Amino acid sequence: MNALRWGVVAAGFISLGSLTFLVFKALSRGRAPFYAAPQGRASSGIAYALGRGLLPWEKESARLHLGAYLGGIVYHLGVFAGFGILGALTLNIDLPPLVWMVLRLASAAGLAAGLGLLAKRILKSQARRLSVPDDFGANLFVDIFLATALAASLRPAVVPLFFGYSIFLLVFIPLGKIRHCFFFFLSRISFGRFFGRRGALPPLKSERER
Amino acid sequence: MSGKPSLESLRPEDFKAAVRRLAGLLDASSVVNLESCVRCGLCAESCHYYLDDGDIRSIPAAKLNLVIRVFKRYLSPGGRILRGWMGARDFDAAEVREWIDSLYGRCTLCGRCALNCAMGINIPAIIRKGRGVLASMGLVPDGLSSTVDLARDTGNNMGISKVEWVETVAWLEEELQAETGDPSARLPMDARGADFLYLVNPREPKFYPLTLTAAAKIFHAAGGSWTLSSDFFDVTNYAFFSGDDLIAALISRRAKEAAEKLDVKALVLSECGHGFGSNRWEAPEWLAEKTGFEVKSVLQVVAGYIREGRISLDPARNVKPVTLHDPCRLVRMGGIVEEQRFILRHAVKDFIEMTPNREQNYCCGGGGGQLSMTDFTARRRSAGRIKSEQIRRTQARVVATPCHNCLDQLAELAKHHKLGVEVKSVLELAAEAVVLGDR
Repeated sequence: MNALRWGVVAAGFISLGSLTFLVFKALSRGRAPFYAAPQGRASSGIAYALGRGLLPWEKESARLHLGAYLGGIVYHLGVFAGFGILGALTLNIDLPPLVWMVLRLASAAGLAAGLGLLAKRILKSQARRLSVPDDFGANLFVDIFLATALAASLRPAVVPLFFGYSIFLLVFIPLGKIRHCFFFFLSRISFGRFFGRRGALPPLKSERER
Repeated sequence: MSGKPSLESLRPEDFKAAVRRLAGLLDASSVVNLESCVRCGLCAESCHYYLDDGDIRSIPAAKLNLVIRVFKRYLSPGGRILRGWMGARDFDAAEVREWIDSLYGRCTLCGRCALNCAMGINIPAIIRKGRGVLASMGLVPDGLSSTVDLARDTGNNMGISKVEWVETVAWLEEELQAETGDPSARLPMDARGADFLYLVNPREPKFYPLTLTAAAKIFHAAGGSWTLSSDFFDVTNYAFFSGDDLIAALISRRAKEAAEKLDVKALVLSECGHGFGSNRWEAPEWLAEKTGFEVKSVLQVVAGYIREGRISLDPARNVKPVTLHDPCRLVRMGGIVEEQRFILRHAVKDFIEMTPNREQNYCCGGGGGQLSMTDFTARRRSAGRIKSEQIRRTQARVVATPCHNCLDQLAELAKHHKLGVEVKSVLELAAEAVVLGDR
């Protein structure tokens, strides 16, 4: 058991180290210095991109696909909860019962949302054709992670399996699509900076008010 | 273009060189963007091509994925190790064929997808880099490459000679004097030290000279200090569309040198979406230097004249209901959002907004170099259906737009989709409403 615990810690470091390396590798390509004089504020654009700009009434795509949008949010909250369970079990942290309940509920909801999104990707012809094997695999791997996290939080006998599986997932993360978790924030910041400097975002009025 | 290679004639080393070109074009933001796409497909309905044809190849994520899969194959460790799993692809003739069809033929670089991407991926920026790779291989579609070549070789995209330009301006000056009844009305040429140098779309002197006199009439009414340049007058930069940064920089430098030679305070850009984007936002990046003068849209100048009380407009002269089409490169990607509305509210009696509008407005389909790429004409007209329906819903009789590419596309859509509307530039409407003699 202790070996598995140490394995999880090591895999966590490998994962974080690899993701950090990938991010620095990307950033080492250098960014355009922006010679054009700004018309708006990059900081306002970034604040919009990481805040209000994520809300469904600001984004037509989210409004049109509200189910997928909300499913995605629940899925990602579930993943955070799953990692919370992993952290608590690995480091033997004694969490209050209420926190355990929240983590279990969130990971269960995340699992349901993840399976729903996977089903959508498999069953909807357009989503299926747009996808590569990594898209299905990444979703499935994370769903299994959530299922084992939930089971391990309820039954100690499952904890070794959960640890073993987590080691695999943590090592896999930097190799496949799941690494978008690190790039997401950078991408949103880049988006906000680009449109903020140009004075195109944030919009003067929310679209729903027009 | 003479000596243009065919796809079949490309050798393996040409594809390798193209991959090196791709690697060279990708900066940090690009790689972050390429690593971020999860192919959720939520961007689909943001694209007017997809809304029109429902083809999976028209989904922005699918277009983006063309670049991603080559990036993965050659430039990403995960993709090199797990090629099939990651969907990585060889960059070969079949792949290049898909790139040409989608990156040139299914995208206007309008950026609506970027605004609606959950990850915030600047999809048009990546697509333009893909075009840059194709341009490095000499595979820019014919109509677009010949437009770029003409601008590179003659100084403007219609091959207008300096003599023809100067004579046209002299003739238009006479027209302006006749229209205003004021012999002091001028279209100044090479006036050093003026407040601004005005760049125009070559289609203005060539086919629509009255749009140039419309601007001149407003400048005259405001008592503006401005000039044209006999050396360089072209606001457009089609190399922005072809993806060729070297030629784009060459064209941009000409505008900069013309402004510096005349020692003007500002470079003012005629109604042209990509011309604004190229000169205002991209040129300093292509040239890797700051400009020593302001670069602004003519809309900002005219809106300023109204605000300062230098001109007055009589909306009773434009009584038909008017709607406004927002050019993507000027509005969504350029940040000029309210000025055109401010002008129209003063110039017309009945102004109706389209839905959606401003940065969420749909592309008319004429951007991205589409008007010059005849291979994709049928697709362009068909994709314009989305804009046509938007116009029809307003029940307006006039569509105004501050972009000459949009004007061409909208005029074609009006015929093709039987919209029963006139298409005018914002300045034309403002010039019709301007009250002379108040100065």
